Amino acid sequence: MKNTFTRYFTLYRSFLSHNLKNEMMYRANFAINVGMDIFFMLVNVFFFKILYGNIDTVGGWTFYQTLILVGSVGVIRELAYLTFRKGFLELGEYVRTGNFDVMLTSPVATSAHLAFRHVSLTDSFGEGLMGLVLVGYGFAHLDAATWISIPFYLLMLFNSLAIYYGFCLLVNGLVFWLVKSQELNTVVYYFMNTARYPREIYHGLGKGLFTFLIPSSLIATTPAAILVGRADSGLVLLSLGVAAGFLTLGLLFWNWSIHFYSSASS
Amino acid sequence: MKKYWTVFRVNWQNALQYRGPTFISILGNLLHISVLLYLWNAIYLGEQQLGDYKLSDLITYYILQLMINSMVLSYISWELGEQIAEGTFSNFLVKPLNPLHYWFVLNLSGKLFEGLLVLLVGGILSFILINHVTLPSEGMTMVYFIVSLILAGVLAFEFDFAIGILAFWLVQINSFKYMLQYGMFFMAGALLPLDLFPEAFQRIAHLLPFRFLLYFPIQIFLEKEAQPLEGFITAGVWIIALYLILQFGLKRGIRRYEAVGK
Repeated sequence: MKNTFTRYFTLYRSFLSHNLKNEMMYRANFAINVGMDIFFMLVNVFFFKILYGNIDTVGGWTFYQTLILVGSVGVIRELAYLTFRKGFLELGEYVRTGNFDVMLTSPVATSAHLAFRHVSLTDSFGEGLMGLVLVGYGFAHLDAATWISIPFYLLMLFNSLAIYYGFCLLVNGLVFWLVKSQELNTVVYYFMNTARYPREIYHGLGKGLFTFLIPSSLIATTPAAILVGRADSGLVLLSLGVAAGFLTLGLLFWNWSIHFYSSASS
Repeated sequence: MKKYWTVFRVNWQNALQYRGPTFISILGNLLHISVLLYLWNAIYLGEQQLGDYKLSDLITYYILQLMINSMVLSYISWELGEQIAEGTFSNFLVKPLNPLHYWFVLNLSGKLFEGLLVLLVGGILSFILINHVTLPSEGMTMVYFIVSLILAGVLAFEFDFAIGILAFWLVQINSFKYMLQYGMFFMAGALLPLDLFPEAFQRIAHLLPFRFLLYFPIQIFLEKEAQPLEGFITAGVWIIALYLILQFGLKRGIRRYEAVGK
């Protein structure tokens, strides 16, 4: 077991350093990416600023608490780019050209090889940075901020990452039938985009839908709720359960769907 | 005229063939809108209110936003910019077509297809929410609304064309384009009605032409627009001014154009 872990870690590290060297070559590109990320995050903040100019709370969340929510989405996005997201963005290309062969034949799980293939520090760097700033700024303005919540916040961030990964596996696994992946990536993009609204706004059918089918209502709300002191054990347990469920289903579906891969031109 | 009709027909067939992306983008937008509807609902359940909007006004606002968005907003700048950057734009220089008119027709046929699709989605959505939407009380409102939609469509095309021909001067503009488009989208009132903005921003938004893309038609539909006729004239002046600027810009751009790789 320990052996497997070390093996995956070494693999991850070498991919990361390789990609980092590549990214370093395009510094202007990096600057533009960061600028763009910050612009979009600012528009999101501006949206809530205007909203809170008209009202006091949304689903019980104040403006500063919402900033933590918006910031957390940014941080999770950056974490995802650091661990798996870009591989899925490129999956369609691998399948179309037949380069996916390499991943099938390598002595690691395809779901991990694909994820690590293009781990990127800089692609979503602006979002991560801006996210941290927003979380910090919101945290500094909380009435009931406790430092002890920070490790639990981090823990739940990784739990959200697991939900995100499971969701990616489930949606992107369809690529083996569609061969095109752009639309699938759009679906995942919209999924993360709806995560910045608090879970409390949903009720009835919507609540179930955005928990079990499109689990975006848990992604940012659970970690943020811990940091602002609104979380209860029910929410945490639900998030852990959904993460376990999506991860299991995602891996099962993925490992089954790769059987439908038909190689091209090789 | 006949040659433009051919352009229209060919692109219409193209749109029919590649309906997947259109459908997904409408679906994604629908997802975002439904989340926003939950958001407004939660706010109004908490007995708070946004400006002088009733909940049904807001629901109508976002359903209309979804529909107008698909029917009106143009995305030809992606292909146009690519053609300029890759040199395939040269085709226009030897054809008896005005690029501005050509792309207008191209855009029109794509929008008509997307419009029909989204009309269906919006229709179903309004039917489900029939008790929660605000419908116009006078027949004249619908006439004004349609006029405002046509103006919005032409203006949106002109803005997008302007972004597209930036490629004559700037090589790598994709990220810049994203930001411009999103900024425009925001100032058009896509995410929030403009009269909820802080006072100073409202004044800026009122001076800018982007409000004619979404906010203005929706306000007319909701019968909240006090001066529709004045708006029509202002939009008309913008359309003519932009047309002249674009023709001029196109001429200057073509002079700079290097026909890379051809």
